Amino acid sequence: MSAEIENSPVPQQEAATLPFLTTSLDAVINWGRSNSLWPFPFATACCAIEFMSLMSARYDFARFGTEFMRFTPRQSDLLMIMGTVTYKQAPILRRIYEQMSAPRWVIAVGACASSGGFYDSYCTVPGIDHIIPVDVFIAGCPPRPEAYIEAAVQLQEKIKDESFLTERLARLRDRGEDLPS
Amino acid sequence: MKTLGTDYTKALVPATAADISCAQQSTFDWLASRFPLDQDPLAKLSTSAIVRREDLHEVVQALRDTPEFAYDMLIDIIGIDYLNYPGHQGPRFAVTYLFKSMRFAAHRFQLKVLVDEEDLVVPSLHDLFHIANWAEREVWDLFGIRFEGHPNMKRLLNHFEFVGHPLRKDYPAQKRQWLSTNDPLLDQLEARLRENGMELIDPIPLNTPAVEDVIKGSRR
Repeated sequence: MSAEIENSPVPQQEAATLPFLTTSLDAVINWGRSNSLWPFPFATACCAIEFMSLMSARYDFARFGTEFMRFTPRQSDLLMIMGTVTYKQAPILRRIYEQMSAPRWVIAVGACASSGGFYDSYCTVPGIDHIIPVDVFIAGCPPRPEAYIEAAVQLQEKIKDESFLTERLARLRDRGEDLPS
Repeated sequence: MKTLGTDYTKALVPATAADISCAQQSTFDWLASRFPLDQDPLAKLSTSAIVRREDLHEVVQALRDTPEFAYDMLIDIIGIDYLNYPGHQGPRFAVTYLFKSMRFAAHRFQLKVLVDEEDLVVPSLHDLFHIANWAEREVWDLFGIRFEGHPNMKRLLNHFEFVGHPLRKDYPAQKRQWLSTNDPLLDQLEARLRENGMELIDPIPLNTPAVEDVIKGSRR
């Protein structure tokens, strides 16, 4: 019998008979992460108008755990880029992404954020994946709110495939710590 | 002098096309009697005057301050690059000024200054019209035409790191330029606050850490 059960308020005999379940650490962590995505809206164009209806009662994005819109990148883990990103805006977007703490995910919403849209010119970034890594792209100009929901669900599926421990190991290696392989 | 359209102060009657062309012709004739002018051969829909660069400031001041004309509104300043333009001869660049009168409905007039590629300088009109300040900065940004006497000849739309002038016909439209930092524009904000009688205790600091620190911080 472990020390934890000995010190628990539940009497020993009773604790031994309680039901329990086994799982992996990744499954628990990913369950929490995927169901509490806090979005940071980086809104530059009309896709943000659809986002407003998405967050309000009719489409109710909060059903998928993306409950809490945060207006600081330091408190959010989902960056949603809605609209055209110009080269003048690109360093700002890059800095916002870097201010987000890991784990962080990115959704590129609409044609402009995904590919530059029809702005094929000297001033428009042809897709924000030139600046920051993107997890999910949404097509449309602007996309319907259902497409945002679809993207969020796909992102949740993606998060469920990730491994917390592998990620952590990679981060430690990045910092140059000497670890056994 | 011919009739010059409706007086806005008397009745709100829109000007007809005939009124406008009549007013343009009389303005042109009046100017031609005082300054050396040319009629713009490329202007198809209206009478447009080509003025010499050294006369520009005086001409505009005369148009603005003569009460019969009262061109008291500068609508826009437009740069033109005539590179490979069919039927154009002479200097490559031009700057066009659009004027309107807030008093007479029919008063709309267009002035053009031709600018040679070797000497891209035009006198600034910021002392006559406040709007000229930003409009001239825009022309400088997009065409590279400098305005002599302008108080703040900075780029208006493009980033300060941007190289070249993108609306010139020989600028490759697909050419992209990566920029390393943001363009804070705080200098103008602070100047405006001081102008309005505010006292800045401390200049506003750029309260963002270096990108490298942020990357390290987010990985810890």
